[in-house]
Amino acid sequence: MPDATPRPPAASGGQPSSTLGRSVTIKGELSAKEDLVIEGQFEGTIDVAEHTVTVGPQGQVKSEIRARQVVVHGSVNGKITAREKIDIRRTGNVTGDLQAAGVAIEDGAYFKGSIEILREGRAEAAPARPVAIPRPS
Amino acid sequence: MLARSGRSDAGADPRSAPAPSFGLRWLWQYAQDLPRPYVLDCGPLRSATLAVLLGRSGRFYRGDLITPLKRPDLWDRTRKTPVFRTELLLAELPSVAPASLSLVFCWHLLDLLPREALADVLLQVHKLMESGGVLFCLLREPRLDRGADAEWELDGLNCLKHAREGTTPFPYPALSNREIDRLLPTGSVKTFLTRSGWREVLVVK
Repeated sequence: MPDATPRPPAASGGQPSSTLGRSVTIKGELSAKEDLVIEGQFEGTIDVAEHTVTVGPQGQVKSEIRARQVVVHGSVNGKITAREKIDIRRTGNVTGDLQAAGVAIEDGAYFKGSIEILREGRAEAAPARPVAIPRPS
Repeated sequence: MLARSGRSDAGADPRSAPAPSFGLRWLWQYAQDLPRPYVLDCGPLRSATLAVLLGRSGRFYRGDLITPLKRPDLWDRTRKTPVFRTELLLAELPSVAPASLSLVFCWHLLDLLPREALADVLLQVHKLMESGGVLFCLLREPRLDRGADAEWELDGLNCLKHAREGTTPFPYPALSNREIDRLLPTGSVKTFLTRSGWREVLVVK
């Protein structure tokens, strides 16, 4: 019989991960060489460049996040940079600037800020702005 | 200022989803030489719209100005006549450098704003647009009395789809192009009429 017990969202299948539980509040710099699940409150910077950060439904993060992938079910206020993908789920609430190769936001989520897509793996700045716009008749 | 209009007989009826939009077609043709325009979406978040616009944007901004209009705190009711707190609504805009936006999608926001807020909101958006930038909006015809809660999404660059038809009555009288024209400091207004009761209006700064 399948286990129907609700579980916190998994970071990524089969990979070791650390979890900051619901009652945990941390301020500071956090780096890790494994996936990270945040169910509590965190303020500061998170750097898990090669791994996935998952902010759980109860998670509240005021932080700059750098990761391979970021999945948000909870609340994030700050810049998020992901080499691969940022995924904001229906319950997610994000205010900040996103930079990633791919961004997906589900209907129902809240997002205020900017998105810059890193194209072909290059962490390039936005291209130079054209000076004039042609005007069709 | 220049006000022109065209009628899209082939459809452009956003009630039948998805439908080609002549306003959007014009918009993307206009922006064809902009490889990565800066784009602002001021409407409710639609993942389909996001996917389309992300593929076409250099930088994509979003701040929903439509959903917060339901918030009671946007009205100061301590005075004899309630006063709309435009500054609270504008706080929903993301941080954007002035004169940097190429394209702004504000959907039917202008039909939902109290008249006293229109000028400030339009002026603020206008300030964020670069010269030659385009504001895309939908304005209802006076005959359309319901649809305040309508929602659209993009189905490809040139097609509009009703995510929600909308049945709520509009809170304010319909806006004319002349009123929009009058509220803008500079620019021209181009209108595409559709059979749906919604005009596709493009304001070029």
